Order: sequence, then structure tokens, then C-alpha cells
Amino acid sequence: MPLLINKKIVANDNWQSIDVESLEQAQALPSGDIIVPLSFYLENRDDLLGRDGQLGIQVNGDDDLQALYAEQDNIALVAVEFPIFRDGRGFSIAKHLVRTGFNGEIRAIGDVARDRLALMQSSGFNAFLIPEDRFSEEDLNAFTEVSVNYQGTAADPRPIFRR
Amino acid sequence: MYQYNEVDQTLVDERVEQYRDQTRRYLAGDLPEDEFLVLRLMNGLYIQRFAPMLRVAIPYGLMSSEQLRKLAHIARTYDKGYGHFTTRTNLQFNWPKLEEVPDILAELAQVQMHAIQTSGNCIRNTTTDPYSGVYANELEDPRAYCEIIRQWSTLHPEFAYLPRKFKIAVTGSTEDRAASQVHDIGLHLVKNDAGEIGFEVLVGGGLGRTPVIGKVVRDFLPKEHLLSYLDAILRVYNLNGRRDNKYKARIKILVNALGVEEFSRLVEEEWEYSRDGELTLTSAEIERAKGFFTPFDYDVNAAADTSFDQKIAEDRAFKTWYERNTVDHRVEGYRIAIVSLKPHLKPAGDITDAQMDLVADLAEKYSFGEIRSTHDQNLVLADVKKADLYSVWQGLEASNLARPNIGTLADMIVCPGFDFCALANAKTLNIADQINERFDDLDHLYDLGDIQLNMSGCINACGHHHVADIGILGVDKKGEDWYQITLGGSSREDAVLGKVLGKSVAADDVANTLEKILDVFVEHRQEEELFRDTYKRIGMDPFKENVYALAH
Ligand code: HEM
Ligand code: SF4
Repeated sequence: MPLLINKKIVANDNWQSIDVESLEQAQALPSGDIIVPLSFYLENRDDLLGRDGQLGIQVNGDDDLQALYAEQDNIALVAVEFPIFRDGRGFSIAKHLVRTGFNGEIRAIGDVARDRLALMQSSGFNAFLIPEDRFSEEDLNAFTEVSVNYQGTAADPRPIFRR
Repeated sequence: MYQYNEVDQTLVDERVEQYRDQTRRYLAGDLPEDEFLVLRLMNGLYIQRFAPMLRVAIPYGLMSSEQLRKLAHIARTYDKGYGHFTTRTNLQFNWPKLEEVPDILAELAQVQMHAIQTSGNCIRNTTTDPYSGVYANELEDPRAYCEIIRQWSTLHPEFAYLPRKFKIAVTGSTEDRAASQVHDIGLHLVKNDAGEIGFEVLVGGGLGRTPVIGKVVRDFLPKEHLLSYLDAILRVYNLNGRRDNKYKARIKILVNALGVEEFSRLVEEEWEYSRDGELTLTSAEIERAKGFFTPFDYDVNAAADTSFDQKIAEDRAFKTWYERNTVDHRVEGYRIAIVSLKPHLKPAGDITDAQMDLVADLAEKYSFGEIRSTHDQNLVLADVKKADLYSVWQGLEASNLARPNIGTLADMIVCPGFDFCALANAKTLNIADQINERFDDLDHLYDLGDIQLNMSGCINACGHHHVADIGILGVDKKGEDWYQITLGGSSREDAVLGKVLGKSVAADDVANTLEKILDVFVEHRQEEELFRDTYKRIGMDPFKENVYALAH
């Protein structure tokens, strides 16, 4: 799956995303930079934080977001899942992370494709994991299709009348 | 009216090209059907019973002669020579070709128009009082705030994929001609005890299958906090609104589920982050927006005219039109003229290309080049000198736009129903004709006084049937069209949902049933009492008895 960061394709993703099942079956917590679901994190918080390597948490709109926000200073990445195309909760999750000063990676995963990339970036996402079959080189143009923004963006929160 | 600057123009131009590319990728098979559906909806394109339907945004119902001429041109060139004004004051084209839509959008962009967010689960066109700025009892002209909301809500990155559509209406006086209490957010300009202007904020109104009147979440919001507060409401909704069932996804369901106190608490908590932040309106921005809606250069001698009195005395038809289809203007010597889009036996809200051109010309000549569309599907020339009314009337009359029926039973709101709409349960246009044929005597209609009749072809309630004195809802009974009737609803400042009269009636029986209802009204009416007041006084029972007793 192509990963876009700063409008470029990143060849090597140093993050490994691990689902609950694999985590529970494993003898020990994996090493390296890992992304685990919020529920697993909450149950194994101390062990995970005591480990070597960076930590990321995966959430979607159904999760207890207050629990995520309470832990955001302890982690380096939040992977926000878009379970389906029409689910727009992820935009507000990113927005909250940015405005409360989270400065790690905010990665969009799940149903992520070209026509929402610019909106995601404006809302605070800085990394995009795009399914292979939905990706094309042309997607890199998506960020500049519409150059106007009235409301303010994650990069510059001033609405147009304050710029 | 508001004039685009370079930035606004760039946005619509770029949006056209973006949509052109989306259409290209869809037709090439690179964009999945379900994804294109969402994208095209966000650009006002539905696929209906026979053809796509394109909805063009008319921000807060205000357009220029040039813009209306462009709409006429589009109707002529890309459609079958007509358009349809909706209850959201937008214009719908019923027969555009999917492949040609990008070209239509490019034409619209030439005159500062677009179809952005006229459909889909996003913030829709903000609506307001069609008499804004010209009505005597106004606190402030709401259009400046509508424009501020328009900009803020246009291509909002965070709120483009809401649980469901989202509609905002703003009013500027204690009278409500914008149905604000059945909007997701209703904003009423009010003055507090300290004499400051701000907004009363209502949330969670809506129609559809679960009609609800909006609830007050804040009595007074200082105007500079308008956007930060809207932002807070939208974020609470975006994160908490239901997404598992589209019939339960509107904000009204969330507000009802949480209770208005809890909902308000969540909003206030959310607002703590943004209150006094970047979204706070500067007084320069408010003044800038207001600068686009300053009063026209009215003729100071307008009131001295005597030709008008002479015409009124001479021409009875003109007098009738004047009394029915014009309204007091703030400035002496001027009137607000309503262009009736309810001609006899024609679909409510429909307008041909030639009629659009004519209205555009009249506006240019006699009403400072501006036209407004109303939520009850008529047009308004808001600033006509009394001395010019006769000419305006003659022009409208010659084009079948001057039927003197505003406010009467014949001034119905009617959705397109089964003839056009893929979701319909029943036809509506034939029933509207049936009613018009039965009640074709205007003097009789005048005797009955103001009565709002609204009709929808299914439970989605596009025709606002819940909030009319008399509401008609098409239902499907074993493949046949039947009609359920409600009484006593209102979308005005006293907003209330109508109550069901009883069993639905057969298609052939609608006009008969109306007659029985009106008989009861006439029998119980005290002096010049309005239907709604008689209904409030005597209740449902007498109507029920008369309609159903006679049936057996
Ligand atoms: C012909 C194609 C149309 C389709 C497929 C359509 C579809 C719908 C649907 C599904 C709803 C219910 C939404 C909900 O409750 O969440 C709705 C509501 C509505 N529509 Fe339409 N509609 C159409 C045409 C129109 C027209 C012509 C008008 C104006 C005359 C209109 C104005 C409205 C309004 C005012 C509502 C009520 C909004 C509310 O619930 O607060 N629609 N429409
Ligand atoms: S009320 Fe029903 S029939 Fe009428 S336009 Fe709306 S969806 Fe169609």
C-alpha cells in the first residue's frame, strides 16, 4: 500500500500495524515502531510504554476518543481509520489532535483515496495510506486541485478574513 | 449583493475543473460508482426517474439579472427549456446530461454561480427571509451573516462527510419567512437587554420521516461568535450523529436522543476550544460583509407619484394583483412585488427560459437588477417603485407570472412527486391540478383568506407538508396513490407540526375532502379569522366529523 507523506511516496514505512489477534497470540510484544488498536493499548499500556521502539495507536470514530486524547502525549503516531467512504468522523479526530498540540504523525488509513486527500490534509492529516488498487501517480495532484480555503487549515488555522 | 473577489472566483473555477476530472475518471471506469455518487451529490447532481437532476445554488435566494439570464440560457441549451425553484430557494434542472454537467458548471462559474453542496451530506445552501433588507420590522439585514456562513461552509474540509445533510436558516426579524425552526440550525437575529445584536440559536429542527421543531440551545450568542459556535455544533454532530441508519442520522435525532441540555453541554464544552479563537469574527469582516447589502439609492421623490393611484382606480385586475401580490416596503413609495410561480394548472415553482429572461429584464429595469427566490417557490422583485408597478404587472401578466394568488390556497408548495422523483410514493402534480381546478374562483380564494397548503409525494417531506395549515402527503396503498391530510401546521414564528386528520383519502377525493374541511372553517369562522386561528380555536374534531361522517 502506497504511503504518502508531504505529497511524496515514502518507500519504506518503518511502522508496523498489528491487529489484536496477532498481538494476543504473540509470546512477547513485538519490537520496533508499532501501531496497536486503542483497546489493546489501554489494556497493556505500561508494558507497551516500557518497550523499545515508538508507539502508535489506531482508532476510528467508534472508539472512546477521550481515552485516546488522554494518552496522546505518550505516543508518536495516531492512525485514524476511515471504515467506509462516507464516514467523516476521522476529519474531526484529526482536527482535535492538531488543536491540542499533538505533533506526531496523523495517518489516514482505511477507505482513503484521491478525492478526499486534500480535505484530510486541511483537517490535520500528514500521512495517507492508500490501498494499492485505489492508487495512481496522479493522486499527487489532488492536493492542489482547489487552492482556496475559507476556513483555515491545520497548517494555518486562520480563516480567510484573518489572513 | 455580494460580488465575488478573485479568491471566490478561483474557487468555483477550480471546483469546475476538479469535477470535470472526477466525471472523466468515472466515465473511464477509474472511479467506483458509489464513490462518484457521493462526489456528484456534493455537486448537486442526482440521478432521477428519467434523467439526472442538477441543483444550482442560489445563496440565500439572491440573484442578479445576469445570473437569472444565465439560468435561462442553461435551461434552453442543456435542458428542456425550463427549471424548477425548490423550497431551498435553489433552482433545479430536470434533464441535463451527465457528460454535459461540467460544461454547465463552467457556464455558471462565469456568472459567479455553482452547484457546490446543493445536495449530499454536507452543509447546504443557507436560506433566509426573502424580504431581507426591505422589510420594515427588521432588526438587521441577515444576508451579511448568510454570506459569512456561505464562505465558512463552502468546501469545509472537516464537514464534507457529515452523517446527513445539514441546513441552516437565518432570520432578521421576529417574523419567520424562512421556516427556520425546521432547519438543522435556525439562527434568529435578536437584541439582548444591553442592546447588543446577536443570535438566538435553535438546533435540531427538520422534516422528513421524523418531523421535529428546533430547540433553543442558546438564547443569545454575540454575533462575533457566530462561526466558532457553528463550528462547535457541527463537530459535536459530526462525531456523535448516527451513521448506521440514514433515517436516524439527522442532527434532530441526536438532539432528541441526548436531550437538549446534554447536547448543549457538549456544544459548550466543545466551544471552549474555539471560543475567542481564530474563528471569532472581526468587526472589519462583519462590516465588509454588510457593505455588500447596503440599501439602494432609492428615489426620494418616489412617494410623490400620483400615476399609481390613477392606475389602481382604472384597472381592477391591476388592483387585485397589487393587493394580493405586493407587500409593504421599508421605503415610502416602493413595494415588494411577488412573481407568482403558481400559475393555473402548472407545476409549482416551474419557470421557462423565456419567463426567466423576462423576470431578469423587469428586475434590471425596475428593481435594481436583483431577484430573490422564496422558500414557498415564488420569486420576488424587492424594490419596485410604486410608479413602476403597473409596467411590472403588465410584463408579468403577459408571461403568466401574475396570477394574484399569493398567500391563498392556490399558492401551494408542491414537490415534484412521482412524475420526476425516484423516491416518490405518489403523484403530486395531478393532485395540485385537481385542487386548482376545484378552487379556480379567485374571489372564493380571497374570501377564504391566507391558507398555506403544502404537498409532498412521500415521507421525505420535500414539500413541507407537516408545517402547513393543510398538508397533503402521498402514500402508496397496494400500488395506488392515496393521500394523508394534516391540519394546523405552521413553519412561521409559531412553528408547529400539523396533526393527521384521519384515514388517507383516494386520489379522486382530495379536492372533495378539502372542500369539506373548508366548509367547516367557513361555518365556524368568526369575522375575518384566518384558517389557522379558527383551527386553533375549535380543534381537529369538527373537521374530522365533517370529513368522515359524510363518507359513511
Ligand atoms: C426530485 C428529487 C428529489 C429527491 C430525490 C429528494 C430527496 C429528499 C430526501 C431523501 C429527503 C429527506 C432527507 C432526510 O430527512 O434526511 C428530502 C428532504 C427535503 N427535500 Fe428533497 N428531494 C428531491 C427534490 C426536492 C425538491 C424539488 C425540493 C423543493 C421543492 C426539495 C426540498 C427538500 C426539503 C425542503 C426537504 C426537507 C428537509 C428536512 O427534512 O428538513 N427536494 N429530499
Ligand atoms: S417528498 Fe418524496 S416524492 Fe417529493 S421530491 Fe421529496 S423525495 Fe421526491
